[in-house]
Amino acid sequence: MNSQDKKPGFLSRRNFFKLIGGTGVAGAAAITAGCSKAPAGGTGWLPQQYHTASHWPVQVKGRVPIDISNPSIARDDRKCILCGQCIEVCKNTQTVFGYYDLPLKNDIICTHCGQCAMWCPTAAITERDDVNKVVKALDDKNTFVVVQTAPATRIALGEEFGLSLGSNVEGRQVAALKKLGFDAVFDTGFTADLTIMEEASELIKRLKEKTTLPQFTSCCPGWVKFCEYYYPDFIPHLSTAKSPQQMLGTLTKTYYAEIKGINPNNIISVAIMPCTAKKFEAQRPEMATNRNLRDVDIVLTTREIARLIKMRGLDITTLEEAQYDNLLGESSGAGMIFAATGGVTEAAVRTAHYLATNEPPPEPLLSFTAVRGLKGVKEASIEIPGLGHLNVAVCHGLKNARIILDKLRSGEASWDFIEVMACDGGCIGGGGQPRTALPPSDKVRTSRIAGIYNIDKKDRTRLSYENEEIQLVYKNFLVRPLSDIAEELLHTHYSDRSEHLITKKNYSLNEGDSNS
Amino acid sequence: MKVILIAKAVLVDITKCIGCGSCSVACKLWNDLEFDDSRPTVGVEAQLNDVNWTAVQRHDVQSKDSPQALWRFVKQQCLHCLEPACASACFSKALQRNDSGAVVYYPDLCVGCRYCMIACPFNIPKYEWKKTFPLVTKCQMCSTKTASGEAPACVSVCPTMALKYGERSALLKEARQLVNTNHLYIKEIYGEYEVGGTSWLYISDVPFEQLGFKTDVGTKPLPSYTHNFLKYTPFLAIGWGMFLTGLSFYTKRRNKITSQKQADDDNKETTSRKSESTEETNNENL
Ligand code: SF4
Ligand code: SF4
Ligand code: SF4
Ligand code: SF4
Ligand code: SF4
Repeated sequence: MNSQDKKPGFLSRRNFFKLIGGTGVAGAAAITAGCSKAPAGGTGWLPQQYHTASHWPVQVKGRVPIDISNPSIARDDRKCILCGQCIEVCKNTQTVFGYYDLPLKNDIICTHCGQCAMWCPTAAITERDDVNKVVKALDDKNTFVVVQTAPATRIALGEEFGLSLGSNVEGRQVAALKKLGFDAVFDTGFTADLTIMEEASELIKRLKEKTTLPQFTSCCPGWVKFCEYYYPDFIPHLSTAKSPQQMLGTLTKTYYAEIKGINPNNIISVAIMPCTAKKFEAQRPEMATNRNLRDVDIVLTTREIARLIKMRGLDITTLEEAQYDNLLGESSGAGMIFAATGGVTEAAVRTAHYLATNEPPPEPLLSFTAVRGLKGVKEASIEIPGLGHLNVAVCHGLKNARIILDKLRSGEASWDFIEVMACDGGCIGGGGQPRTALPPSDKVRTSRIAGIYNIDKKDRTRLSYENEEIQLVYKNFLVRPLSDIAEELLHTHYSDRSEHLITKKNYSLNEGDSNS
Repeated sequence: MKVILIAKAVLVDITKCIGCGSCSVACKLWNDLEFDDSRPTVGVEAQLNDVNWTAVQRHDVQSKDSPQALWRFVKQQCLHCLEPACASACFSKALQRNDSGAVVYYPDLCVGCRYCMIACPFNIPKYEWKKTFPLVTKCQMCSTKTASGEAPACVSVCPTMALKYGERSALLKEARQLVNTNHLYIKEIYGEYEVGGTSWLYISDVPFEQLGFKTDVGTKPLPSYTHNFLKYTPFLAIGWGMFLTGLSFYTKRRNKITSQKQADDDNKETTSRKSESTEETNNENL
């Protein structure tokens, strides 16, 4: 800035007359006539649906509220075109928006599923961007940065690099993470197997004691929060087992740190997830077992890790495949299918059969087609020797959860085991996955699901209890499922959130269009 | 005094507002206003300013029924007074109340004296401190949009129907009916009588003074207090106009320099938002 700008300039004769000539004459004419030129404003635009006489209803309008402190999603107002798509999915697929009565209490109700981010045509809504936190952790030479990858990211990350839908990039993803500088790369599939060991044991216990049945899965944090808001009466039915993400975080800072002789205070635990709700889950107050250290410090979505990989100029398609690191790196096919709707049930039933009978599950349980596929609510009944008849229900998309829960509440139906995934298709369709056509389609979901079941069919053991590293962790650390130490480290509790909203009492769910 | 054909109004039901900010985005889109992350339009820190013609401010209200404070969102904008003090303070008629009740600002007529800012009892008109040729800005009640029978931009996008556009008398009737029969509401309609009545009306379940509303503005129209002799003296007005045009040029220059200085100072402070201008620090009240 030059000094001339700093002192009040004198009005030159020329400028003064120019002004008087302009505003003076035209303005004075207007002043005396009382008429005027254009009013301020109105020079922008609005989407077409808002240009209609005010007495007509507008079908698709507005947008979901997003609290500024939402740990999972954020919105850039500049990109919002008020298209109403976020409301559409939040209300009609997730039954969150509009399922509370107004006025609000003291919360912006959100399950953090991130489906609004998937539907938002301009990507005004995105995950809360935590890439820089990871960059900082990787740059810090004094920290040991551990990363885990969820089953569902390996069959979707490739899409961000031009590969076809459902391509499996497991080994190349590991290679990319190692190149980025992570000190150890683990598989969340490992703790998916561990979750199955704990959850199946819990189920058998409940079945034997005939208490609080059905048991609900608890690995989906979007579903868990939905239950805490809208169905607090069912909280005791949620399996107390932590989600695979949280179990892996816990074991990293206990079991792994101990064996490797690393001070857990120096470990930063990162998780790569298909999910935005996992960011919320990681910061739940309950999720800090070991000396108040967070089980998981930073969660990145598939989209964020793709950005980071691209930032560093790495092309995942050309990388040499690499292996997960030992101790927390092996996973069975059962752990892998967690990524698809029905997968947790199938995995749990396989292991429950073994735990109850000491026999491997029969062939039909290795291809449990009744719980696979994209039908909104799936039901099946199986016979497990010693346990008897087991009725299971599987649903995905929170509207379908509502259908099941309302039937359960009214006594219209009863089940023993219920799997709920907040996102359509399960985690493969999570709110943190690569963006595809809008709104997300079944074609994408089907291809990704096929990718997952291919992994289950192929290489490895398909039974969680046969996972050797699982056997090792029980032998050397956890003793057995539901042992005291397992209870302390791998199980959690939930909080009733119903006081934060006025739950809507009367609504009708159109079961017909509850997902194809 | 102009004959008002059909006075229109907007009824704001505070109990229905969820703080989604659709309205504030619509206002910016329609009026082509700058988006500025450092000056949020929704939340505890939301404030009106030259680029936020509307702001949805969150108030945390203590309630005896709940251990935690309740969140209430209050959409703020010009209230469009039936007898606007701003307009009568404006000798160059840059602010005029139109046939449907909107108090509209005509920038071409503005000489930049900012009398309106002083006159407005709700501290609504804002000044474009950062611009080279600053103007006064405020909500226009979307006068060009409503001229074709459409609702104001903010009203048309509200997903919960917290905002309703219609004839003032009909909306008042509806509001009265609601507050008298539904125990949720306090039995008061803000804007019905305040400063002689406004075109934006509010109903609420929480007393208005707890939500940052100015409740001490009285019911007497404010123009009767102002020096509105200018209205009747067009000759004088021309003289004044010329004088003030010159004056405004001088002020604009000076303001530019002041705001430059402020911007420099702001860079030094981390709390730059707060010190943007004195006008904006004391507009917590509607
Ligand atoms: S994250 Fe899910 S629950 Fe939250 S606003 Fe988006 S769609 Fe609704
Ligand atoms: S989907 Fe995106 S662009 Fe559309 S209204 Fe919602 S936030 Fe705005
Ligand atoms: S609220 Fe203020 S700016 Fe709006 S019409 Fe009334 S006096 Fe004018
Ligand atoms: S009426 Fe128009 S100008 Fe006023 S706040 Fe609403 S959108 Fe903005
Ligand atoms: S659009 Fe409606 S609900 Fe959303 S913030 Fe504005 S007034 Fe409130």
